[in-house]
Amino acid sequence: MGDVEKLYDDYKDHADFLTIYIREAHPIDEWKMRSNDKDKDDVCYVQPKTLEQRVAIANDFTKRFKYTLPFAIDDMNNAANDAFAAWPERLYIVEETGTISYKGGNGPFNYDPNEVRAWLAKRYGEVKAPAAEPQKSAEPAAVEKKS
Amino acid sequence: MLRPYGEEMKRMWTWIAIAVGAVVVLVCVGLSVMAGSPKDAIQMVRYALPYMHRGDLKVGDRVPDVQLVALDGQSRFPLRERMTGRPLVLVFGSFT
Repeated sequence: MGDVEKLYDDYKDHADFLTIYIREAHPIDEWKMRSNDKDKDDVCYVQPKTLEQRVAIANDFTKRFKYTLPFAIDDMNNAANDAFAAWPERLYIVEETGTISYKGGNGPFNYDPNEVRAWLAKRYGEVKAPAAEPQKSAEPAAVEKKS
Repeated sequence: MLRPYGEEMKRMWTWIAIAVGAVVVLVCVGLSVMAGSPKDAIQMVRYALPYMHRGDLKVGDRVPDVQLVALDGQSRFPLRERMTGRPLVLVFGSFT
């Protein structure tokens, strides 16, 4: 998420951003990875089964990691995920006219925020926001976490 | 020297079984290397592949106007509501 947050900081005066939280990729009750663990990224969530659980995880994460991008959540019918073939992660750019101007590849291997940066730089020029804030530190999780 | 027909068939099926077995082993090894371990490979096939699609959307298509849920968990809004006359960057993802 760090690259995208930097992108947002740099270009939020020129473009709108919206993060859409979709079904988890590596929840601890499905395909858990070593990187989930507390000594790594510390993101030990179960796959939400209800909207309330999904909303709780979204709130927990955005608060813990002080995530600044505008945020929305896919409903439990996964309508956004299905419409955009988004899982596990993907980037799009939509033109002012409502047409898709950029469709990124599926993450993690073909997920490339630098392609979005290049698109924005081509239109608005290269933009670098002032120096970043002090290092963010994750606070302990409040909900839906298991160690 | 000609072998009996039954022996030829047995030999052919043996080679087919060996070839199929070799392909299966190669696929398993490849998936394990890609995913990290045999256990990860099984979980990838079970949990990841069913959800990973290229999709039909392409550059130039009209953006689907899906309904989204706000962080408060109560209010809903259509995606196009977030279009304000500027390009809109959509970041799909999860936290794990």
